[in-house]
Amino acid sequence: MTYFLQLVVSGVVVGSIYALSALGFVLIYKSSRVLNIAHGQIIASGAFITYALKVFLGVPIVLSFLLSLVITFFLAMSVERIFLRRLIGEPIISVIMVTIGLMSIIDGLIYLTPFGTENFSFPRFLPQTPLSLGGVSISWTQLVGVLITAALIGGFSYFFKKSTLGISMRAVSDDQLASMSIGISVPKVFGLAWAAAGLSAAAAGGIIGNITGLNFDTLHAFGITVFPVVILGGLDSILGAVVAGIIMGLIQQFASGYLDGNFGLNGTADVLPYVILLIILLFKPHGLFGIHEIERV
Amino acid sequence: MRTTVLRSVQIAMTALIVLGLVCHVQAGETYKLALSLAITGPTSDAGNPYAKGVEDYFKYVNEEKILGDDTIDCTIRDDQYKTDVTKRNFEEFLDMDIVFYLNYSTGSTLALKKDFEEEQMPTIPASFHAGNLVDSNYIFLPIASYSAQAIGLAEYVVKNHQGDTPKVAMFIHPSAFGRGPVEDVEKAIAAGLKMEIVEVVEHGKDLDNTAMLKRLMSKGVQYVICHTVQSPVATVLKDSSRLGLTAKSFGEKEKLTFLGAHYTGGNDLIALAGPASENFFWTTSYTLTSEPGPGTDFQLALAKRFGRDDKAANSHNYTNGIMVAQVATEAIRRAKARGAKVTKESLYEELLMMNGDKAFKLDTTVGPVTYSKTDKMGVDTLQLYSVTSGVFRAVDKPFSPEFVGKI
Repeated sequence: MTYFLQLVVSGVVVGSIYALSALGFVLIYKSSRVLNIAHGQIIASGAFITYALKVFLGVPIVLSFLLSLVITFFLAMSVERIFLRRLIGEPIISVIMVTIGLMSIIDGLIYLTPFGTENFSFPRFLPQTPLSLGGVSISWTQLVGVLITAALIGGFSYFFKKSTLGISMRAVSDDQLASMSIGISVPKVFGLAWAAAGLSAAAAGGIIGNITGLNFDTLHAFGITVFPVVILGGLDSILGAVVAGIIMGLIQQFASGYLDGNFGLNGTADVLPYVILLIILLFKPHGLFGIHEIERV
Repeated sequence: MRTTVLRSVQIAMTALIVLGLVCHVQAGETYKLALSLAITGPTSDAGNPYAKGVEDYFKYVNEEKILGDDTIDCTIRDDQYKTDVTKRNFEEFLDMDIVFYLNYSTGSTLALKKDFEEEQMPTIPASFHAGNLVDSNYIFLPIASYSAQAIGLAEYVVKNHQGDTPKVAMFIHPSAFGRGPVEDVEKAIAAGLKMEIVEVVEHGKDLDNTAMLKRLMSKGVQYVICHTVQSPVATVLKDSSRLGLTAKSFGEKEKLTFLGAHYTGGNDLIALAGPASENFFWTTSYTLTSEPGPGTDFQLALAKRFGRDDKAANSHNYTNGIMVAQVATEAIRRAKARGAKVTKESLYEELLMMNGDKAFKLDTTVGPVTYSKTDKMGVDTLQLYSVTSGVFRAVDKPFSPEFVGKI
């Protein structure tokens, strides 16, 4: 039973981080119907900014983390303003191609810095002794990661449901023309969506970087790793990202814990999430919580 | 007047041309070499210091006139770990008439193996994959293969384990690079190495290895031999430490002792895993700056001379780059010494003769480089290191894995 509970805890921890990483995709898609292929690079940038503030400038770690959220918020907003604003109204594939270009540009810029080719590690700031209860343990890094994820996802959910701006964003997502007709600034909403996605990506980067260490390849790969989570949850659903993230985390841990190394199986933890994804999409093509749009002709 | 001026200009120009020709003859030959590797992109954390090592050593050779008036011109290009780019680079290098080639990844070395054969190009890759040598005459591994490293670690486990047959798991990279040594370790077991491989784990981008570690413990695994890159090993070490599963000393009962091959270790692993890296056992054929000696003194002086930072200066991949440049330079020096023209053919012959009393002894490795028609693995000797108080320290003397010759 302890083993099972440990797998559940580990699955929820990993799933929460997946959910936070997936959140950036959802926020942008929710408002603009665009998939940001450069999301992994923004995750990595957030982690590197936190590290640079802490180690190179000596800013306390908590402040570094918060500042990195602010910096990435404005960086992502600037990216939208400079590269994507002009593409409003253009075919979605054009916008996606721009995000692919953006990915290459960010890659190139990061390779110009030591972060592109060297490994770094955040200075230790949390207790090293894990928290244990009844044989089930969780490290402080993981616990803080889960709490930050919960706070951010809760905050975004509240923002979309209760704030005027959040409701405007949902309205834009629903119908851009109708939104404009009632005075909502669509460009402003797009900018804000990118900024919010940047913020969530930076948070995810900080948490992942604290767990795996700062390696550019590892960090930016999470942009792709969480893609099944985004699809499973439904591209435009924050709740979907959370539920799908945790489902994926649990599947991985259970597959690794019960299947891998038994019955001649290996690597099921990596494959099974995709198998489950395919099965669920057979029955729910828009994901678990994605909106099924009906067009009446 | 005009004729006099014209004549003066004519004489001056002729003098300049003659002077130029004389200087050219005095400047000696320039030998073209080339290196294609991942300076950016995946594995560039290893490729970057490697490139610096190659670059710095050849600069040193030219500045110190190690080859007399002759110089080495080594073109270094980034291939971002993409085999198609490596191939394009190699084809362009051929147009430059290179006489020696340095390659990098396992994938591109395997993919270009036929090209090296066709072009009869002596090649030293940064990949130590034993498969590089299959059906190949022109690829020379700088040090013991990954297979030899994994077998060496397995032999160390068997020799130092107390109790019944040791149960081992292999934690490997999900690629040809990672899978290569598994089969050879299994062959060593079949040849009499008393060890049991309980499971071979191909890792993904795991944020939490709890399930895997608990599973291995439940199967009685006591040793984990890792053959991958540093980042996943660091995550496993941190998880194992958090769960209280890491052995405090080698072979501690009911705990896990972690060991790793060349690309799992080094200072980057300590930076990534922190205190969780304590008691990690690692093998390579290179000397380390944490165990000072003539080779590491030279390495640090070279890095200082060319303005490298501490991180690059102390990287074992910087040593790796220096070492392959040393081998190429030595082959050129020997070809010159026997009066041969320096060509890819003569350098190939020199490499094949590098054995017996002509073995190349250098200080950046723990043993000499020996090559022959039947031996394309440079340094056969390995050194075991383990992390003690945050640095890698040598464990015992350098050794040669016995079972490598039995499989």
